[in-house]
Amino acid sequence: MLEIKNLSKIINGRTILHDISLNVPQGHIAFLLGASGVGKSTLLRILNNLDPFNSGKIFLDGKPLDLSLVNRTHTVGMVFQHFNLFDNMTVKGNITLPLEKILGKSKKEAEHSAKELLAHYGLQGLENKPVSSLSGGQKQRLAIARTVALKPKIICFDEPTSALDPMLTGFVASTIDHLAKEGYIILVASHDTMLLEQLPCTIYLMQGGTIAESVTSQDFSADKKQAPRIEAFISGAEYK
Amino acid sequence: MGAEMIEWNFIESSFFYLLRGALVSLQIAGIACSIGLLFGTLLALAQTGKYKPLRILVTLYVTIIRGTPMLVQIFIAFLVLPQLGIHLSAFWSAILAIGINSSAYLSQIIRSGIDSIGKGQWEAAQVLGFSRGQALRYIILPQALQVVLPALGNEFITLLKDSSLASTIGVVELLKEGQIIISRTYKVIPIYLMITVIYLVMTTILSLILSRVEKRLKTHAGN
Repeated sequence: MLEIKNLSKIINGRTILHDISLNVPQGHIAFLLGASGVGKSTLLRILNNLDPFNSGKIFLDGKPLDLSLVNRTHTVGMVFQHFNLFDNMTVKGNITLPLEKILGKSKKEAEHSAKELLAHYGLQGLENKPVSSLSGGQKQRLAIARTVALKPKIICFDEPTSALDPMLTGFVASTIDHLAKEGYIILVASHDTMLLEQLPCTIYLMQGGTIAESVTSQDFSADKKQAPRIEAFISGAEYK
Repeated sequence: MGAEMIEWNFIESSFFYLLRGALVSLQIAGIACSIGLLFGTLLALAQTGKYKPLRILVTLYVTIIRGTPMLVQIFIAFLVLPQLGIHLSAFWSAILAIGINSSAYLSQIIRSGIDSIGKGQWEAAQVLGFSRGQALRYIILPQALQVVLPALGNEFITLLKDSSLASTIGVVELLKEGQIIISRTYKVIPIYLMITVIYLVMTTILSLILSRVEKRLKTHAGN
């Protein structure tokens, strides 16, 4: 269980995140919904030690989580909006490099694991291709495989559909859902209501750096009146 | 007919000496280039690093080295250093001065390469658990070098041509060999023509090698 308690971030007197509290149990998905600039991505970046924060506490499985160590202990993984794959390497190299240099695996072990992972994410046969030859969807699957290779407990997805063809939204949703079922704690930051509709999750509507409303997707689909602001956001997005 | 025979003999014998000089030019350029590349990379890393005093120091170094003529630097290495107790041969004085000079230029080329690599690559590396040093070594520098290879190539070619400045302190490289032959024979035109052709052949071969390396790196990256 990931517990975020009263997390705040202020830059030059401007509040970016204010008093954010949320819990994500293992195998569950927290969907941070909101327009651009409300702090969704910042929250994910804080969890990945890419941005500092001012106050608040974070616990993982009941123990305080020291964010300055999460990179070294590979507790948290991130699938970036633009994937951030290592462009100078092959598809396989993107996975074997962290396995060899970070986990200390032998070249043979790393290649074996990479091959299995790539096959699992439908990238078999592309092992020795350059990253630049992949399609957007393939790049995302490689980014997911690279993240999963280090076996983090938490995986963050920053705008997972924004760089992809809308046709792929269903596929992205099923991939994320599958990862949750494998036991990962998942956080998704997105404004994509189409993706939201296809993910069993807890929805957190973020507005102005705070969580304005939250509801499980199950409760929301049973009765939309339970979360009027989320409903307004979704219907607003639909009309745009 | 006879005159032509003598001319060919002269060219043949001079060519041997000039080639010997060219070899020295290549040695100067090669060693100076290695010094420049090693030192330039360290300077670039310092300049893109976290420590402000170090960044200021590098900027100062680059400003001084780039702002003064290489010829003056060669004279300093050859004439001023011995007064400070550092005695180097003319050959090594030239290499030191040219190497240090090129390190300033190369550092800026490499720094621009490092800067050209998007923040996303650093962040991906950090999230995967790479230290800053590991990220630089395995992810950032290989990509940066690929970006700046054409500029590096130009610098290498300039370096090879600049090695001719070593002749001013008595290093018998290509130009000096030619000048020695001219001082004996007064045959200015054929010797300078041969020197020019030899420089041109060397720089052309170098640029061909560099463009091949560039192509290979590009194919490897699949661009």
